[in-house]
Amino acid sequence: MTENETKSSIRGDRDLANAQDIIVCEGVSKWFGDFQALNNVTATIKEQEVVVVLGPSGSGKSTWIRCINRLEQHQQGRIMVDGVELSNDLRNIEKVRSEVGMVFQMFNLFPHLTVRDNISLAPIWVRKKPRAEAEEQASSLLERVGIPEQADKFPGQLSGGQQQRVAIARALAMEPKIMLFDEPTSALDPEMIKEVLDVMKELALSGMTMMVVTHEMGFAKEVADKIMFMEGGQIVETGTPEHFFTNPTEERTKLFLSQIL
Amino acid sequence: MNLKNSTSQTQYEEEINVSTNSGLPPKVAALSPTEWLKANLFSNAFNSVLTVLSTAAILLIIRGLLSFIFNPLRQWSATATNMRLLMTQAYPEHQYARIWVSLGFLLFLTGISLAFWRAGRSVQLSQVGKRLLAIGAFILLATLLAPFSSRATIIWLIVGAFIVGIGLLLKPAHEDKTISSLTLLSGAFLLAILSLWVVPYGHHSYLSTRTPKILAEPGTVAMTTKLPWTIMFLVAVCSYFLGTFIRKKIDETRSKAVLSVTWLISPLFLLFLVLRDPHFDTGHLFSTDIPIFLFFSIVGSVLLLWLTRPDVGEKGRVISAAILFVGFATFLFQMLMIVRILTLVLAFFALAAPTFSGQKPARTRYAKVWIGSMVILCWLITAINTPSTAKVPGDFFIGGFAITLMIFFFTMVLAFPLGVLLALARTSKFPIFRMISTTFIEFIRGVPLITILIFFSVMVPLFLPDGMDLTEIAAVTIAFIIFEAAYLAENVRGGLQSVTRGQHEAAEAVGMTNSQKTFFIVLPQALRVAIPPMVGQIIATFKETGLLAIIGIFDFLYIARSVIPGQTEYMGSTRENLLFVSLVYLVICFAMSKASQRVEKRVGLGER
Repeated sequence: MTENETKSSIRGDRDLANAQDIIVCEGVSKWFGDFQALNNVTATIKEQEVVVVLGPSGSGKSTWIRCINRLEQHQQGRIMVDGVELSNDLRNIEKVRSEVGMVFQMFNLFPHLTVRDNISLAPIWVRKKPRAEAEEQASSLLERVGIPEQADKFPGQLSGGQQQRVAIARALAMEPKIMLFDEPTSALDPEMIKEVLDVMKELALSGMTMMVVTHEMGFAKEVADKIMFMEGGQIVETGTPEHFFTNPTEERTKLFLSQIL
Repeated sequence: MNLKNSTSQTQYEEEINVSTNSGLPPKVAALSPTEWLKANLFSNAFNSVLTVLSTAAILLIIRGLLSFIFNPLRQWSATATNMRLLMTQAYPEHQYARIWVSLGFLLFLTGISLAFWRAGRSVQLSQVGKRLLAIGAFILLATLLAPFSSRATIIWLIVGAFIVGIGLLLKPAHEDKTISSLTLLSGAFLLAILSLWVVPYGHHSYLSTRTPKILAEPGTVAMTTKLPWTIMFLVAVCSYFLGTFIRKKIDETRSKAVLSVTWLISPLFLLFLVLRDPHFDTGHLFSTDIPIFLFFSIVGSVLLLWLTRPDVGEKGRVISAAILFVGFATFLFQMLMIVRILTLVLAFFALAAPTFSGQKPARTRYAKVWIGSMVILCWLITAINTPSTAKVPGDFFIGGFAITLMIFFFTMVLAFPLGVLLALARTSKFPIFRMISTTFIEFIRGVPLITILIFFSVMVPLFLPDGMDLTEIAAVTIAFIIFEAAYLAENVRGGLQSVTRGQHEAAEAVGMTNSQKTFFIVLPQALRVAIPPMVGQIIATFKETGLLAIIGIFDFLYIARSVIPGQTEYMGSTRENLLFVSLVYLVICFAMSKASQRVEKRVGLGER
């Protein structure tokens, strides 16, 4: 209970109960060939909410999060992002993508561009910002993620943790309403995980809507407003961290927790 | 000598001390010559036999080659006398200044570019010494092997010993003493050009009177050779220093861009200079060409300024598609070629407009680029429409090495973008693009180049509609372009496949459109990967221009193989000419492959 109090005190006066729904999934299903990756997923995420998606590998967590900015196409159901429905219409997809930032497990920085260009490329060409303004923004974002001195290096010259922080800055440069994190720390050495998680915590505190697929239970306990547990392409259980870690209702959740804790 | 040795010895020991103190790995002691021989050449009985046999083979080959080259029966004057024929075929002698001016302009560009891109690296003097030592030793060995007269043997021995001497002087130089590789290169050229004025290579000239006369006298080479080359050398050196001078004064990125564009356009300009009449048909110019140019630049820039507004949306794409349609439709009606071409170009600019849309400066820049391309295109089209002043016998105004270079250049410049387009089409999501591109590539790759060349030089002119005329050179250039484009496309496709799915997703996730993703993320990475196979393809193309000889175009090889041996004075000089031609091909291909290695290293900079 005390944990909850501190969290709300740090995170300011968010009124999640009255917040608008920003991501709505209704009966989303997806198949890879014959294998059903998502099975009738229905969930709602509110503005400024931090949702952590947990589950064993192959449970469809990544597929779901990638459906939300249409890196994968769902085959059944509806996904609404900030009032725009995702369909085959290219304009809707481009609109959604410019409002949803994504951070990948393998960073996916552009290796032929400097860190500064990695961050400012999309604002210049997609948001049509003047170059000087975009580069200034890149510098302040690098400051925010704690690596202002690396602006003129190439991604290959940075450590994994630094690369992932650049990737976060690149996503933030588009000034998104929602940030999606697809296992952002899974490819990192243990001593670099913390620096990335710290940046993500700071982001959560600033009021960003976040959806995080991760295996970092500490992060989930500390930062999440809501935890969703997935298994076999379905959301098995949803709840607050306290409920989830201390008092889970589903058998499958208990088994998962007993294996990892 | 002894003293010097001992000082360098102490220096060496000091260095060892320093290196052990700073924790560097210990230096491995150099092997003595006998130890080296034992370790590398005679390590066991079998290797010793191999060493002896291959050394014998190498010596025999060198001796054979030397006795071929220096045999008094060889007619080297065939190559020397016909140098002009080899280089430019029948280009009129009194117009030759145009060719020298063109070459001078290219060298001027080269000099400036070398300065701006900071070409060259510093080479240790001791390394240069070692290299000279090796060269000198080789000359000494070759002189002893060659069947020279005693006088020639002495001269060559002196030359060899001189080079060895310089090598020995430089070899003990300290590690810190370096020299720019450009200085070395220009020094070598300087020596070569000085030798033209001093060394009696022989004075050969071909007097193209009604009954051609051949003149071969002792002495230094003709003034028409040594004077222009000396000027060319001075132009190159001076422009390099000019480049280093202005490099500091102006914005470097912009001037590099200007230089690159100049490199791309200058061959067209030079072609015009070499070929065309400087007197325009001014009446036609004022009544037709300039009004069309003004119309397209004004209407085009207004349209593009509107299309690049960020809020133009779907309407813009529809209008661009309509212009493209009109552009293709113009080919169905009687119309000036200039109108057709400009409409098509406008359509492509309009289609690309959303990518370059944005704030006011970006939009005006785009319109300026449009007007700039208009100027170049209109000028080119007008230039092509004016008749040639270079009246030469035969089908085309130039031949020999010049035409080999010309076809090679136009092939590469046009085949490269076509190849990239084909590769993009083959990997695109649109089935119709994919199908067309795959069929084209597989068809072209399944047919031998010589077949395509014969098809284009013999058949295509028959298929052309009335009034359309294609010279044989243009026809074979098109043949080369489509053949090389198909191969380059496969190289680029390999590069495209090496770009990971994650890169595509990252670009999509930040909201880039397909074309932005392709231009900014995928192509730069793909082309970098594709450099080594593409350079291989470019070198192959250069050598494949030799096939022109088979379809009877007076290219470098054809003149060497058939034309010169046909002169009564030089019957049976085929082998000499072919040896010269292959030497030229070898030097150029080697230079290209060296340059590509440098480029590979440079673009690999940011990657780990």
